[in-house]
Amino acid sequence: MNKTLETEELDSTSRREFFKTTASVGTIAATSMLVPNTVLADDENIMHHVKWGTTLGHEVNKFPYGMPPLYEHNVVRRTSPLMSSAGDMHAAISMTPLADLSGIIVPNGLHFTRTHNGVAQVDPNKFRLMIHGLVEKPIVLTLDELKRYPSESRILFMECPSNSAAEWKGPQFGSLQMAKGMMSCAEWTGVRLKTILDELGLKPEAKWMLAEGSDGSEMSRTVPVEKVLDDAMIVWGQNGEALRNEQGYPVRLMLPGWEANLCVKWLKRLEFGDKPWYAKEETSKYTALTASGKAIQHFYANEVNSVITYPCPERDWTDLKKGDVVEIEGLAWTGHGTIKGVDISFDGGKNWVEAQLKGLVLPKAWTRFSYMHKYDGKPMLLQSRSYDDSDNVQPTVNQEKAVVGVEGVYHRNAIMTWKITDMGKVSNVQVRS
Amino acid sequence: MFKLDRKLTTIGMVLVAGVTFSVMTACAAESKDGAKESKKAAAETSNSATVGVYASKPGALDGGVTYPRENGIYTAYRYNTQSTKGVNPGRAATANEIKAWDLDALPDGSGLPEGEGSVELGDELYEAQCAVCHGEFGAGGSGYPQLSGGNMDKDENGVIITLKNQRVYGSTDAPKRTVGTYWPVATTLFTYIRDAMPYAHPKSLSNDETYAITAYILAQNEIEIDGEEMDDEYVLNKEKLAKVVLPNRDGFYPNIDGPNAIEDIRAFYADRAKNIGAGTRCMTDCKDPGGPDGKTPAAVMEIKYEMSDVTPPYAYDKTLPPKKKDENAHPGKEAYEANCVLCHKTDAMGAPAVGDKAAWDIVMKKGLDKVYHNTIHGINGMPAKGGTSLPDDKIKQMVDYMIEASK
Ligand code: HEC
Ligand code: HEC
Repeated sequence: MNKTLETEELDSTSRREFFKTTASVGTIAATSMLVPNTVLADDENIMHHVKWGTTLGHEVNKFPYGMPPLYEHNVVRRTSPLMSSAGDMHAAISMTPLADLSGIIVPNGLHFTRTHNGVAQVDPNKFRLMIHGLVEKPIVLTLDELKRYPSESRILFMECPSNSAAEWKGPQFGSLQMAKGMMSCAEWTGVRLKTILDELGLKPEAKWMLAEGSDGSEMSRTVPVEKVLDDAMIVWGQNGEALRNEQGYPVRLMLPGWEANLCVKWLKRLEFGDKPWYAKEETSKYTALTASGKAIQHFYANEVNSVITYPCPERDWTDLKKGDVVEIEGLAWTGHGTIKGVDISFDGGKNWVEAQLKGLVLPKAWTRFSYMHKYDGKPMLLQSRSYDDSDNVQPTVNQEKAVVGVEGVYHRNAIMTWKITDMGKVSNVQVRS
Repeated sequence: MFKLDRKLTTIGMVLVAGVTFSVMTACAAESKDGAKESKKAAAETSNSATVGVYASKPGALDGGVTYPRENGIYTAYRYNTQSTKGVNPGRAATANEIKAWDLDALPDGSGLPEGEGSVELGDELYEAQCAVCHGEFGAGGSGYPQLSGGNMDKDENGVIITLKNQRVYGSTDAPKRTVGTYWPVATTLFTYIRDAMPYAHPKSLSNDETYAITAYILAQNEIEIDGEEMDDEYVLNKEKLAKVVLPNRDGFYPNIDGPNAIEDIRAFYADRAKNIGAGTRCMTDCKDPGGPDGKTPAAVMEIKYEMSDVTPPYAYDKTLPPKKKDENAHPGKEAYEANCVLCHKTDAMGAPAVGDKAAWDIVMKKGLDKVYHNTIHGINGMPAKGGTSLPDDKIKQMVDYMIEASK
């Protein structure tokens, strides 16, 4: 839903007045901590009744589908023509505003989105899912029928394997959102594919599954049956409601921890076979060309990864004073298992300390980390490095480059660096040779 | 880096064997203090090891772990242990339905439809329906994917030389990923074009047309079929397409074909340090050289050309969005809502309520000029100009709106 003034109105005069007030108070608040009590100016927001305390609020159901406060209207997905085909926004990607998120759940309207032929608008009444090939009992399901299967829910991250693909040769984007926002994490609800296959009878020769979408690009991918039987799901629920169109409404494939492109949206057909299919998105694209001139294909899991979300270019430290104690926060994730820990470096990777994990620590989900830091006003090169229960440690740029080169496009998980100036400004840099 | 530093190479292997914490200590042992620090750190981590530890089993296909699903517990989740046997919604797919949807084709050509098309016809179709985006002859240029071109010469190991190009040192060309230089199999080209192109009208091409366009694109990439060049008269069909061996057929790994495919993939991802790159948990005095010689010390690289073309533009303040102008709104509407609506929304204050046709019929009997006059100079409970100091013209516009909205 669009956050526009059409739905909520403040008349222009009172809005102007409101800004005048907040602007002056803002200045006061910024300096107040330094000044002794006696000279502190009184905060207008405390000394006078505020507008919303002296007027009647909106009727309870003015927005039958709730919306974020208008003041949050800048917290949106962002895209760039540079990351599309010829600036065509149907084969493009939009990024999640990571700096503004809390916890590990991304609201549905902010989930990152990648499409190859636009966002399909599927009529759920005409939706059909066909499962066939090397199964004893090929079937067709309507949406209601599919939802009759017993459901399970999982909190899982989804990451486009192109996340930070623009940065193999050096830093390019001046924001966390554009540099690392091709990922999100949500609670997904659906049925385990194994539950369905137990009924359909998978034939022993079945080694591969073709998953096909119903959108204009008929997006399809080959998935090994071993993964299908381990933890694959067909999901219809996203954070408690139906999937958004952008996430594949009404139904998408979910392969926990694996590149989001494999989690085919607008799902239409699953075919089981004994050979891989070589779809366009697993040959021409989504293969990682290495410096050897050969490319890695069937690149599945998103590797162990992490990024510091505060501070970051969007939310810097320009308001800190020497001696302030501040929480450094970030996200870690791994498609290989569960995050075990995160280290933090203040000197660009020479020395490291351990951060602490906080909140839920779930497999194949975002995990928050935290480190209490006493700000000393000196410039620094801030990094995070995660490791997981599959014995993966996040590589440096040099370590990853030594194996893959710089033309791989996909699956970049090198350590990121925020350069922080003595003024507290944060920029995106890389420590590399 | 692994080439350079023996110690780290070993560590990479220890890592794979699964002893993360000893790795950390070993690495840090380069400096005495570091070793102490890291041991302490390691101990702390092991103490808190109950969080996020879910009895993982190594050996997953992707190089990661799997988790047991037992007694109603799967990692941090519970599940219902009752049997799901008999939950069996849906119905059998009919043979016709399967035929209608099962249109994919395998690299060996199985699944390809009957039909045929010539390079010449493909040329015509391509010019009319594809060239606008993919360029003349598939040469790209407009930012849409390039379909042909790029040097296909191979080195002594059969690797296409230009695919080794790395745009990092000097001004090397980007490796080109076209059908001729990069794609492994040609059946993909046929099914993709039939299902997904032309971009705005996918699935509008017949099988014959698709064969023709596929033939044209293969010809532009100088592909030979069974040793035969594809000239204008060349006619492509199912059998011939199945015989195409694209130049980069062997340019991908791990192996995904044949009976050992799954184990080949597992072995590949098991050795991640060698095959996809891995880090090391060094804690102090860490060195990280790289570069063409593997010895150049790491330095800070800043953004050279920032990609700042972002939509919507960057903005982080918590302010109200700019008011959206409703282009079709009556020019008097906004000012009416800002200045008059309080009294005129209902008749509670004795004002004719906007939208109340009967009330405004009575008002309008006075004639428009009189109504303008009363509004500008005030009448009874109606203050002059509604209490504003707006120009007469604007007031009249607002009156017009009120009349319009009450018809
Ligand atoms: C309006 C522009 C447009 C037109 C017209 C168009 N295409 Fe495309 N084509 C695209 C875009 C965009 C993509 C990339 C889609 C994606 O991101 O998956 C693409 C991808 C392709 C690819 C895959 C390229 C690769 O390397 O992965 C092929 C092959 C292709 N088109 C063939 C055709 C053919 C044949 C036609 C004419 C019948 C055609 N296209 C018409 C825009 C267009
Ligand atoms: C303080 C309340 C108030 C405000 C504010 C107000 N009106 Fe009125 N308006 C009245 C009342 C009461 C009447 C009925 C007067 C009467 O008794 O005929 C009226 C009548 C009118 C009429 C009908 C005049 C007629 O000849 O019968 C018009 C037109 C009108 N108002 C326009 C406006 C416009 C335009 C504005 C804003 C610029 C405005 N009003 C603001 C209270 C208000």
